[in-house]
Amino acid sequence: MRAAFTWGGFARGARDGVPLGVSIFAYGLGFGLVAAQAGFGIGKAVLTSAAIYSGSAQLAAMNLLQTGQATLWALFATIMVINARYLLFGAALQPWLWQAGKLRAYGSLLLLGDANWMLTMRMIRAGEMDRAYLAGTGAPVTLGWLAGTALGAAAVSVLPRPEALGFDLMLIAFAASMVTVMTRSRSDLLPVAVGAVTAVAVAQLLGPAPAIIAAGLAGGAVAALGASARA
Amino acid sequence: MTDSFPVVLTVMAAAALLCRMAGFTLMRFVPLTPRVEAALRATPLAVMSGIVALAVVQGGLAEWLAIGAVVAMTWATGKDVASAMLGVVIVAGLRWMGV
Repeated sequence: MRAAFTWGGFARGARDGVPLGVSIFAYGLGFGLVAAQAGFGIGKAVLTSAAIYSGSAQLAAMNLLQTGQATLWALFATIMVINARYLLFGAALQPWLWQAGKLRAYGSLLLLGDANWMLTMRMIRAGEMDRAYLAGTGAPVTLGWLAGTALGAAAVSVLPRPEALGFDLMLIAFAASMVTVMTRSRSDLLPVAVGAVTAVAVAQLLGPAPAIIAAGLAGGAVAALGASARA
Repeated sequence: MTDSFPVVLTVMAAAALLCRMAGFTLMRFVPLTPRVEAALRATPLAVMSGIVALAVVQGGLAEWLAIGAVVAMTWATGKDVASAMLGVVIVAGLRWMGV
């Protein structure tokens, strides 16, 4: 039997996702500014945001493009490295999302981003059963992301620097609040601690993108070991 | 870089799409044992805490105060999204004041 995938679940996700959409709008402004400074017009900037749909990967790609040394392989590899955390995002969602059916599951993944992944994982833990919730959270995020990109690219000379709006702290603030609310039991503290220590250590050696993946893998590994000991 | 924009965009989009789909697809073939389930359950916590830890290490006073406020507000009110947004406002305000 397939899990629920209803308009009601989508609407619930969309409603919960509105604050994310507002924040992502500010993040989109930031990317739009960078893209415009790199010579992208509004159309190109919005197309990039729609096709890649990942702020951190797009900013890294713009950096690379601006060096004038970018090859297609270098761009591909950069986005793979920056977005490798999505491998973990997808894996963590799979047992829940797969029950919606193949088409709905993969369709929902197109709207997967950092902020709505965090929100959805948190709501799954709180008992959300409707698999349309994820796509619902993605709707306002997409709207905010594309509108922000367009405005950022259009109004490049008028807007303040994106850092002044605090947009660079947005995902971090969401991560801090979600991890706080999701840490319920003593056993949750172990992956939190292991993730933090691993991220900081690996970042020293390899940089921030591998650090996040290493944190997820290490946290998952210690939890798996703990589970086998209890079973 | 001599490639046209559509080619560049397609290559970048392919990389992003691959990352979105591959982890999910691989997990379809991993049996969901209690161990795997515990690992998947812990992964979001570790990822998010890693993101925060990097920001704490790299940040200054404005970032520390904002992140601390987010954790405290979430802890006290349970309103996670509102607390996060307030954190963004706090860091913007602190930077505006020159902190």
